[in-house]
Amino acid sequence: MSNTRPSAPAGPGDFPAWQRIMADVAEGRINPSEAVRRLVLVRGGGARSAMPTTPPEGYFGPRPALSAVPAAEAADAAELRRRHLEEARRELATMPGLRSVKETVEELLAWVQVQRWRMRENLSSEPPVLHMVFRGNPGTGKTTVARLIGRMLRDMGVLSKGHLVEVERADLVGEYIGHTAQKTREQIKQALGGILFVDEAYSLARGGERDFGKEAIDVLVRAMENHRDNLAVIFAGYPAEMDRFLRANPGLVSRLPIQIDFPDYATDELLQIADLMCQQRQYRLTEEGRARLREFLETERRAVNFGNARTVRNILEAAIRQQALRLVGRNLPVDRDRLMQIEAQDVSAAVKRLFGEGKAPAAGRESEAGESPAAAGRDAAMQRLAQALGLLAGPWTGENAI
Amino acid sequence: MAVQQGVVIGKTNVGKTLFTINFASYCGVQEMHISFREPDGRRSSRVLQREDAAAELAGPEPHKTRRLQSISLELPVGKGTRHLELVDTSGLTDYVHRDVEVRRAIAQSLAMIRDAALILHMVDAALVGESGPVAGLGEVDYQVAQFAQMRRGYAILANKMDLPAAARGLELVRSEFAGHVILPVSALHWLGFREVKQFVAHAL
Ligand SMILES: Nc1nc2c(ncn2[C@@H]2O[C@H](COP(=O)(O)OP(=O)(O)O)[C@@H](O)[C@H]2O)c(=O)[nH]1
Ligand SMILES: Nc1ncnc2c1ncn2[C@@H]1O[C@H](COP(=O)(O)OP(=O)(O)O)[C@@H](O)[C@H]1O
Ligand SMILES: [Mg+2]
Ligand SMILES: [Mg+2]
Repeated sequence: MSNTRPSAPAGPGDFPAWQRIMADVAEGRINPSEAVRRLVLVRGGGARSAMPTTPPEGYFGPRPALSAVPAAEAADAAELRRRHLEEARRELATMPGLRSVKETVEELLAWVQVQRWRMRENLSSEPPVLHMVFRGNPGTGKTTVARLIGRMLRDMGVLSKGHLVEVERADLVGEYIGHTAQKTREQIKQALGGILFVDEAYSLARGGERDFGKEAIDVLVRAMENHRDNLAVIFAGYPAEMDRFLRANPGLVSRLPIQIDFPDYATDELLQIADLMCQQRQYRLTEEGRARLREFLETERRAVNFGNARTVRNILEAAIRQQALRLVGRNLPVDRDRLMQIEAQDVSAAVKRLFGEGKAPAAGRESEAGESPAAAGRDAAMQRLAQALGLLAGPWTGENAI
Repeated sequence: MAVQQGVVIGKTNVGKTLFTINFASYCGVQEMHISFREPDGRRSSRVLQREDAAAELAGPEPHKTRRLQSISLELPVGKGTRHLELVDTSGLTDYVHRDVEVRRAIAQSLAMIRDAALILHMVDAALVGESGPVAGLGEVDYQVAQFAQMRRGYAILANKMDLPAAARGLELVRSEFAGHVILPVSALHWLGFREVKQFVAHAL
């Protein structure tokens, strides 16, 4: 895509934009932090001009003589950014499914880039307003994609930090008058320079007119205006509820120019996700294991509140624990392959543990021992053992835990 | 060869002016030939003894420094010496200042960072330690770090390391600005100046 083009070497051509930024500061139209942010945009990074430019008249006096600056250094900065951006884009591209999401994100990045080029050429440019609505069922990748977008916008120099602050009603709404505004403002402050991700946004509107949720929405709307240049607010949740929420808050809709729909994953996509997750953790589903998982997902994905990729992750997480139990418990010789393989019985046992007896695919029922009352205790003990052996360490803990 | 410029930038009251003066003394400057550049472009210069310079130019009132003031330094680089004009700037705010004079001084400071060979970005480590990164650092600090990222001559100076809260502050600054060069200093007690001097000599 065109926005991968390394930023053009800055020359005298960017001077008017620079001058305008300084004038905006001096005349009080923008604050210094916004000014530096615009400098990043105009310069395409920490690049320094290789050519002396004239400072804006009136503010600085005679321009000091400057030596030419090694161009390599400037190129380095732009290059590093470009690499980071590429990385994030590649990460998104390798996520199975999400076709329309990927398209929308590319559109967004292209638009941001063009606004920047226009600003550099001193053409009228809209400051990007980056507030968004994410509609989708649980586990469809909303939070994951939001994180990636944050990184991309940082690497493009739009957001200064690009981090994600995830909040829900309880983080914003307080218990007495004034408390809500204070809590909401605190979260906004934490999110400045990045993304404020409001999960299940409609829960802010659940209590009717007198509910403090309304106050939270008002504070958010104000912040979306005041910090529009360096904060992206994303409202996320189930599609139908989001629609109802937005209909009831027209003031919000007009400030949310970007809407991204996250459809449920098809079974094949869920399996690709499973493969990817296994691969990232150096595990592998055997063919039978994969078939067992498919069987389960095909029925389960029709259930209300199906957790899409999150369900897949939870199953694999449990299956890995079950595999550990199997390997430790049976005293079989373990080789590299055995350590990597997730078998059908591991999947079945995992499903049984997570969803109960009834949900486990028929073939899975005979797989594992452990129906005795003592089973739970034994499981816990085995889990501790497995943990001690380092079998459960790794990417299953920490950030990835729900 | 033209004189290279180094700029000391940061929020108000982090210690930029005191650092500039004391660091110049550390580098052997006894009398400060300080040249001022007024926001309207006029230049003037004065000679001050170090103590007088500190008393006159640095202080707890925010925005005491309303114009660029610079001091010339000689730094050993390799076998020879290098001339550096160290420029102390007016504090950056996160908000639009009411006073037009201050705003102009800020614009002037920002203009400096574009072309300076050296950017010393100062933060108040004690304040960060006391009140955390959100209150202790400004949005503008993150913006400057982003602007200058990957520049060879860019370092963050974590100042006021003589104060108890600064140790914790330094940790926070390190984690907030991972990947940048961060040098702990005390402008008041001349701590960490050797490292700054090495960095400066290396960057020029
Ligand atoms: N304890 C301590 N105080 C400092 C240090 N550096 C500066 N200060 C104090 O912080 C205040 C602001 O200093 P100044 O140099 O005017 O800051 P500027 O606004 O960044 O130029 C003054 O009261 C200084 O005495 C330091 O390293 N330690
Ligand atoms: N397309 C995908 N490829 C790989 N993993 C995915 C994909 N979509 C979601 N995931 C994973 O599924 C889990 C849930 O996704 P998340 O982004 O939290 O969903 P949501 O926020 O929509 O509920 C996360 O572990 C995420 O990494
Ligand atoms: Mg989520
Ligand atoms: Mg000062």
